[in-house]
Amino acid sequence: MSESSSPAKLDAVTAKRPSDLGKHLVLLLLLGISLFPFYMMIQISLKDNSLFFANPWLPNAPDTWKWGNYLYAMRLILPYVANTVVVSVTATAGCLAISIFGAYFFARYKMPFGGFLWAAFLLLMLMPGVANIVPLFAVLKGLGLLNTLWALILLGVSGGIVFTMYVLRNFIEDIPKDLFEAAEIDGASHFHQIRNVVIPMSGSIIGTLAILTFLNTWNDFLMPLIVLRDPQLFTIGVGLIYLDGEYVKPWGQIMAAFFVASLPLIIIFMFMMKLFIRGLSAGAVKG
Amino acid sequence: MSTPISSRKALHEWKLYLFIVPAIILVGVFCYFPAASAIYHSFFRWSGGTTKEFIGLQNFRDALGDRIFWYSFWVIAILVVSNVIKLVPSILMAVLIHRLKSDRWQYLYRVGVVLPMIVPGLVTLFIWKFFFDPTQGALNGFLDATGLKAMLVWLDGMMGWDVFHEGIPIAWLGEPDLIIPSLIIWGFPWIGAVGVLIYLAGLQSIGTEVYEAAELDGASSWQKFRFVEFPLIMTQVRLSLVMLIIATLQGFGLQFLLLGQDGGPGGRGMVPGLWMFNRAFLAGEFGYACALGIFLFVFILGLTWINNRYVRVEK
Repeated sequence: MSESSSPAKLDAVTAKRPSDLGKHLVLLLLLGISLFPFYMMIQISLKDNSLFFANPWLPNAPDTWKWGNYLYAMRLILPYVANTVVVSVTATAGCLAISIFGAYFFARYKMPFGGFLWAAFLLLMLMPGVANIVPLFAVLKGLGLLNTLWALILLGVSGGIVFTMYVLRNFIEDIPKDLFEAAEIDGASHFHQIRNVVIPMSGSIIGTLAILTFLNTWNDFLMPLIVLRDPQLFTIGVGLIYLDGEYVKPWGQIMAAFFVASLPLIIIFMFMMKLFIRGLSAGAVKG
Repeated sequence: MSTPISSRKALHEWKLYLFIVPAIILVGVFCYFPAASAIYHSFFRWSGGTTKEFIGLQNFRDALGDRIFWYSFWVIAILVVSNVIKLVPSILMAVLIHRLKSDRWQYLYRVGVVLPMIVPGLVTLFIWKFFFDPTQGALNGFLDATGLKAMLVWLDGMMGWDVFHEGIPIAWLGEPDLIIPSLIIWGFPWIGAVGVLIYLAGLQSIGTEVYEAAELDGASSWQKFRFVEFPLIMTQVRLSLVMLIIATLQGFGLQFLLLGQDGGPGGRGMVPGLWMFNRAFLAGEFGYACALGIFLFVFILGLTWINNRYVRVEK
């Protein structure tokens, strides 16, 4: 995936139009409206309700900023963030580890029963998750996992395995066979082959899959809502739902809480923006 | 492709099976067992505990006569159609970005498109819920300030909707007739980061000579889109269409968060998933909820089959 298009092509695309001004206007308008909610979040997060009602649209002068909102938000949200980080990181690591081994199993040899197992995994992609929620609840209850973070970790891993393995299998199959054979002649076990051939060769797709799995667990609120009872275990999603349920709405504090809840992802993306954009585009081309 | 292997070698490589065991166990316990359990329990009156009573096909018969369940499919149909229309801004955006001369700007806009995605979806949704607030929300504030409200009231008078009134704040999530419109307009202008990036990737595969040929024929901007660009991103559009339809059918988080467990006033925003959730966790009719889930599964399976059969996605 190259970012740049050749100059010749760009000339051909835009030969007759002297300027891109019109396009920029439309694009900026679309982007502006898309980003408007976040502008509102940030500017309201620094006001209390009376300032907000007096001036709902524009930011106030810095000397009126209510940093107390952020104190409140941190106290409320940071414990939830910690829980969510534990769940998402563990689930992502687990999902990737298990999927890499699983994908290797399918991609390396046509093992007996391999085809059957593969079909059984793929069938899961068609099943609507919603249909399973009710019995899943009973399973978790039976295993004594209700009201634990382990439940969310296990669900995150099992929910991500099929898709991750599906994508990884295609990638591993594209790795030249000679590399595996060379490693085998050198006496490398399958474990070593995964470590020294598979992981280095599919680094970027593993990164993209990690981001996708992480985002899925991070954004999930339904299972946490069903599974968790104890406020100390709440993840961000459940925490925000309970916050939304409050009758009196101190908007400033609520928006500050939203902002704090978004921060971890913003920080992660600042570092991974390139990887993410490239990974998504590449994945899209592969279909 | 994976290398074929003789059964003797496979026997020798038996340890490989250990690689797949964790995946099988997890998927078995948390995906297959619940699915089997759902089918089993759909024949019972069951409230989640240890006691249950076999009632044969009664749950399925009840589901067929369940007016709310049928209505929820109607809601889904409307949402699917509107979601298809909502693809347009993303396509427009991708084409406009692609046609920009400067690579630098192209990259900047890409970053801009991805930015909203790094805010958790839940937060975006809650901000929109706040926008919908009748007295304090930004949407009504905007409509009042721009005079669009007066236009809506006038339109209301013409069409006899009886939902927009002079001097009364619009209750977006409180007025039954506005529930579905609210479900549609939230997230305006509906730019989907993944969608835009996918289309851009498709557009980049268009060769120079195609554009040069179009230039020579004196194609207009619209013609270039209609005959060059759109056909070439058709694969990507279909792909996102399929993902979108399945997601719309299965999803109920949006309705749950905006409207609550009952689908809003009058249950106007009820969707199949939410109704299932509602029956199970509110009414305690777990067995019935399982039966609803099976209907939904069969429905989605049918659509997937139709899709694979008739809407071929060429790779």
